Amino acid sequence: MPTKQPDNEHTAQSLLADIHAVANQRDRDAFSRLYDHFSPRIRSFSLKAMPGANLVADEIVQEVMIKLWQKAATYNPNTAALSTWIFSMARNARIDYQRKHGRHLSDIDPETIFSDLEDESADPFLSAQAKNSQQVIQQGLKALPSDQTQVLAKIYLEGKSHQEASEELGLPLGTVKSRVRLALQRLSVLIKK
Amino acid sequence: MILHHPSTEMLAEYASGALPMSHNLCVATHLEHCPTCQHEYARLNQVGAALFDSLAADSGTPNPDEQALKDRIFQQLDSVAPIAVSAKPASTQNGIPKALRQWIPENYDQLSWFRLTPAFRLVTLLKDRDGAQIALSRVKPGGRMGHHRHTGTELTVVLKGAFSDDSGLYKKGDFVVRDARHRHRPVVTRDAECICLMVTAAPIQFTGRLTRWLNPLLRWQHG
Repeated sequence: MPTKQPDNEHTAQSLLADIHAVANQRDRDAFSRLYDHFSPRIRSFSLKAMPGANLVADEIVQEVMIKLWQKAATYNPNTAALSTWIFSMARNARIDYQRKHGRHLSDIDPETIFSDLEDESADPFLSAQAKNSQQVIQQGLKALPSDQTQVLAKIYLEGKSHQEASEELGLPLGTVKSRVRLALQRLSVLIKK
Repeated sequence: MILHHPSTEMLAEYASGALPMSHNLCVATHLEHCPTCQHEYARLNQVGAALFDSLAADSGTPNPDEQALKDRIFQQLDSVAPIAVSAKPASTQNGIPKALRQWIPENYDQLSWFRLTPAFRLVTLLKDRDGAQIALSRVKPGGRMGHHRHTGTELTVVLKGAFSDDSGLYKKGDFVVRDARHRHRPVVTRDAECICLMVTAAPIQFTGRLTRWLNPLLRWQHG
């Protein structure tokens, strides 16, 4: 749909203005708009991995949104898109919950393992590349065959390993691996052979 | 030049949060040394973000208490102090990867190394709650580690120096996965000592005639 793209672009721009307003003026209206945009996604992301766990989803929404309020000034639009920044915070919050309460019990704090995106240097060449690869990925995802999207969703949204995805989809592990690899090739994610 | 990387599957599971924390630790340590994998990881995060973004349309589970949650979060905003941009610490400090600095704040010498043979020392950094053993090995130049077998998957990241075994030569930053069937005998190159991060599901087992006596000692130290 030709009208879809400018729309998305518009949303991205206004969210970017909102995060700056939060960073610089502690603007609560801007925060409220960011909340309305991201909280349903964070909530759904949490429920995908832990179906039915509504209180946990609330906890993760709260954790990520408070962090966004707190760390807005550290967000650097040149290193990552806002949605990438929020995605990585939501993933870390989900890992943190799971390592304390069940799957993958661990005493290691994910904060020390997943270096914050804002720490990375803002190389203008790399940031141009990042914007470019992001467009390729967004466009490419829509064009992927559904069997490839299905395994990517298992892995990213449900946080499943390739092994678990293979068991739940009733597919051989080799098939899951090759679908993921094909999808990532199409999205130009793979750099190494 | 790093030649041995984590597989694409492992990097994708790192980006999506599906790996055990001890494996995340190894991948993060490798990433600090490897611009190629950093780059690939950044793109894998973009894939995650694009899928995450698409969630709104199908979030068919509206939260009945949505407004109450939002109000609760807004009430907390005043009590949360903003965090400004922090000065970026050097990514490696005395050669200690950032991911390991919680156990090794200054240098490798400060750790209580346990001497297993004159050439080979070991220190456990953490026995994790899921049973994973996170340890460092330290072998003198030209030293051998002894024939050993893994009881589960073993991940190794070279932090300093280099070693070789029957499958190849591994240098600083290289990432090696060995599974339970693997029985190998690493030898450290003669020019420098070699320090590796090793993560195993259970203690390693020595299989050589002369080193077998080390097993109970290792279990005591490591288990």
